[in-house]
Amino acid sequence: MTSATPSSTTKEQILLNDEQMVDFIINGYTIVETDFGDEFNQGVFDQLEALPENPGDGILEAVPALGDVYSHPKVAGALASVLGPDYYMYQHRHCHRNMPGTPSQMWHLDGGAGTTERNPEHVRAVLAMYYPQDVESNMGPTALIPGTHLFPSSADRMASYGNFKNQIIATVKAGSVLIIHYDVWHAGTANTSDNVRYMIKFLFNRLSDTTKPSWDYDRDAAAALGEKITSASGAPVTRALAGIEKNRRIKMWNNLAGGTTFPSEYWDRWKGPWPAR
Amino acid sequence: MSLKQRLLYLQIESVSVRSPIIAMALHEPVPDSITQIEPTGIEFPYASVHEAVIDGWRVVSFPSPKESATTEDDLTILGYEFILEKLEQFDD
Repeated sequence: MTSATPSSTTKEQILLNDEQMVDFIINGYTIVETDFGDEFNQGVFDQLEALPENPGDGILEAVPALGDVYSHPKVAGALASVLGPDYYMYQHRHCHRNMPGTPSQMWHLDGGAGTTERNPEHVRAVLAMYYPQDVESNMGPTALIPGTHLFPSSADRMASYGNFKNQIIATVKAGSVLIIHYDVWHAGTANTSDNVRYMIKFLFNRLSDTTKPSWDYDRDAAAALGEKITSASGAPVTRALAGIEKNRRIKMWNNLAGGTTFPSEYWDRWKGPWPAR
Repeated sequence: MSLKQRLLYLQIESVSVRSPIIAMALHEPVPDSITQIEPTGIEFPYASVHEAVIDGWRVVSFPSPKESATTEDDLTILGYEFILEKLEQFDD
């Protein structure tokens, strides 16, 4: 499918910097906090509450204010940083109404971004989830496992997993947008509160490969992140996969940077104190 | 009361039973019981399969050598999966 909405260019975008990009490559997500006030967020919430049914892909037409969320300078800037300046909004989007008493989902990957291809060395698509209300831990926050975008897996194989040691629970402020790589394992958790929790999910795709970094790139700043991108803990993986994980991070950086090879510098990772006697 | 099987799925870093746990799911033999993602933080009761065995769990399934994800073409797992059981009395 090619029907899509071009990215907004009417407002100046606030791009991610090198460290934020490295964090996205390592973890597969970033949380953007917008400056929409209570009136805006509450207004969206009230409009969602008034919907007679789930409009499916028509949620943007039903609640036009959502367009302001995804053209917000920080949101658009983060999307341009990870998907390139000509990213586009895909036609599929969905409003999740998580009612009190809803149990948690199983870990899963979404389908429906117009491609079934998973790519652990690039960013071809992301999910952007907007929350119009504060989300506490008992309100069904989105859970995700950082780093899993580097390890595609089949849905049936995920079925036996429960809780992970480093899973992230996205308790967020109203107005936040959680942007995750399309291949990050995620799930909605149980809503044990008395409150409805809304999450409006939009998909954004990459249109073309970039020829240079599409974020706020600074070579020296990037070079200083060599140890982080190769050594920071990421996905909870077997020992055999740990080395592959690091290589894929560098490949992802290089693909995102349009061939601008990560400016790694040598450092002596073995220097340090002797073991205690 | 009857003897029923509790099931514990553990995904760990290597095939060694002393290797650290990556993920855990406990399934109780109780109608309508569910195994959920815990949104308020997790604390695993055991640090390894070995600790679970000390506590009385029996390993009923060991990870297959085919799960040894050592090549880039075989990346479908995050941890080696052990399945353990414990038989206990439950109300019918």
